[in-house]
Amino acid sequence: MNAVDAPAPETRARIKKKSDKPWQVVVLDDPVNLMEYVSRVLTNIFGFSREKAEELMMAVHQKGRAVVWSGNREKAEMYVNQLHSAQLHATLDKAE
Amino acid sequence: MTVGPTVAGGLKLVPETEHDWMLLIGIAGDSDSDLAGRLAGLMDEDSMWDEIVAPELAEEFSKQRITVVKEVMRAKEEEDEIHILKGSVDVWYGALNQARLALEDKYRFGAREDVDPKMLEDSSARAAYFRNNFYSHIQGLLLQYVMGD
Repeated sequence: MNAVDAPAPETRARIKKKSDKPWQVVVLDDPVNLMEYVSRVLTNIFGFSREKAEELMMAVHQKGRAVVWSGNREKAEMYVNQLHSAQLHATLDKAE
Repeated sequence: MTVGPTVAGGLKLVPETEHDWMLLIGIAGDSDSDLAGRLAGLMDEDSMWDEIVAPELAEEFSKQRITVVKEVMRAKEEEDEIHILKGSVDVWYGALNQARLALEDKYRFGAREDVDPKMLEDSSARAAYFRNNFYSHIQGLLLQYVMGD
């Protein structure tokens, strides 16, 4: 078995910094889900105000995607599960 | 078919012809049973979404389709109206959405204003387009009259 050198301190710091980045819940645009429905789902799942939900819905519609939540992976997966259950196209991303 | 809101806060569908009944029964036929798998395809492999989440979602989506077909068949046999109330609106909305997602996946209609008229020269695509618009219209009415606060 070959010995594996431990990463240099700077590398360790970079790895730690990357793994500390929060996970993002991303909603993707699709031509099927009605805009009002998307707003309603975002309100129901995340508790957003109507204004906030509509703002995010418009971002999804115009930019093709929007980050709607960020935090730890476990909770982000729970939210994506709920979005999929509502038949919205959603995924997880690591924050840049 | 007559469609309208009810005083109970629901939506009433009154099919009048055999074609109307076939249109409603077709909601399940248009749906794609692999929606859960396609949504899982948006996730990375580390999440094991295929194995853990997708089967549960597939079951949930299947229940929506079965419930809607059963209700349509019951109403047809009893020559009854169909009432969609708050308690069942998510099931109906979900089944209609499944049908629309599957039609979109198959025909790529895109946004209504972007539909290529040449595509609609094909009779099956044209029929699918009109069914898609009908489903979308019912969804709009559900949002307006049943899913509201």
